Amino acid sequence: MSEAEFVKVKYRLTEQVARPGGMTAGLANERAQRELAAHAGDAMKSLGNMIGRLETMNREKSVSLDTVYEEASTILDIAGLFDKRTLCDACYSLCELVDRQRTHGRQDWASIGVHVSALRLLWTKDGQDPESLKSVVDGLWSITDRLAP
Amino acid sequence: MALDPKIRINLDRSVVLLVQQNSQAMDALTAMFRGFGVRKQFKAANGAEAMHVVKTQELDLIVTDSHLPDMDGYDLVHWLRREGPDNARFTPVIMLTGHAARTMVEKSRDSGANFVVSRPFTPEILLQRVFWVAKDERQMVVADGYVGPDRRFKNMGPPLGVKGRRKDDLSTHVGAATDPNMDQSDIDMLLKPMKAQL
Repeated sequence: MSEAEFVKVKYRLTEQVARPGGMTAGLANERAQRELAAHAGDAMKSLGNMIGRLETMNREKSVSLDTVYEEASTILDIAGLFDKRTLCDACYSLCELVDRQRTHGRQDWASIGVHVSALRLLWTKDGQDPESLKSVVDGLWSITDRLAP
Repeated sequence: MALDPKIRINLDRSVVLLVQQNSQAMDALTAMFRGFGVRKQFKAANGAEAMHVVKTQELDLIVTDSHLPDMDGYDLVHWLRREGPDNARFTPVIMLTGHAARTMVEKSRDSGANFVVSRPFTPEILLQRVFWVAKDERQMVVADGYVGPDRRFKNMGPPLGVKGRRKDDLSTHVGAATDPNMDQSDIDMLLKPMKAQL
């Protein structure tokens, strides 16, 4: 085995960030929030459609766990960029549940179904009553944690 | 700790590659970087497209999702650090993750990305990581089992603005001067040997 080599690297980004001009971090953040807000409506609509697909999967119970994981993971990817914390937590619980089911070689649609219904509820009540919605997410985690990692 | 909102940051001339499979998520990511002032953005929906951009463009930053259709983001960084073009091999990388499946945890640690950002995150968090990357002074380690930034923050101190987990963690960043510069005569006075009457 050869020895590790240490290389000192100077990033171009370092010089560029420090160039005169630009803007304050506060302004950059505000602008990014504004730009992002323009996409929020479409994103919420897409999230609703994806939850609809999960509902169909749960009704028909014919797809593999990998397919459920993919869909849940995509919801997490999009919701995560819009800082939809509660929806993300619920989706994370679903991903974790499916991952644990894969590990244990079992497929329990009932617990997946509870997660999917909760996702619909959280999507509908986006931003409302965070305390009670948090308790919904806690309930989802208690279902997921019934299966050891 | 949040990034100081008064810090100036100039990303006008930075060239950023965004790698994201889902078009909706890509639009959101593009919007964020546009807000940060990045004018030149390349987009890739999969690993193969990203590799093509890396080979043909000079990039300052790569922001990739960990979950891609043809390969995962970790494999992309692994390729970049080991087989990428010489001028791009050590391009800074921010990895965005959603759920980390059990099989991916080790791969994530060994991927060689500069920072991993887990969802959900706000534009503020992402901007902070871009700033950290720009100020990242860690050396690159090239070893049989790992190519990427030194994963030990111990010698360099934690990233700017972060307290650190060890009680002896100190940031090596000195920061801006708080007092006016000394003029030359003051400096001379400090250096000049003088007789002292005892």
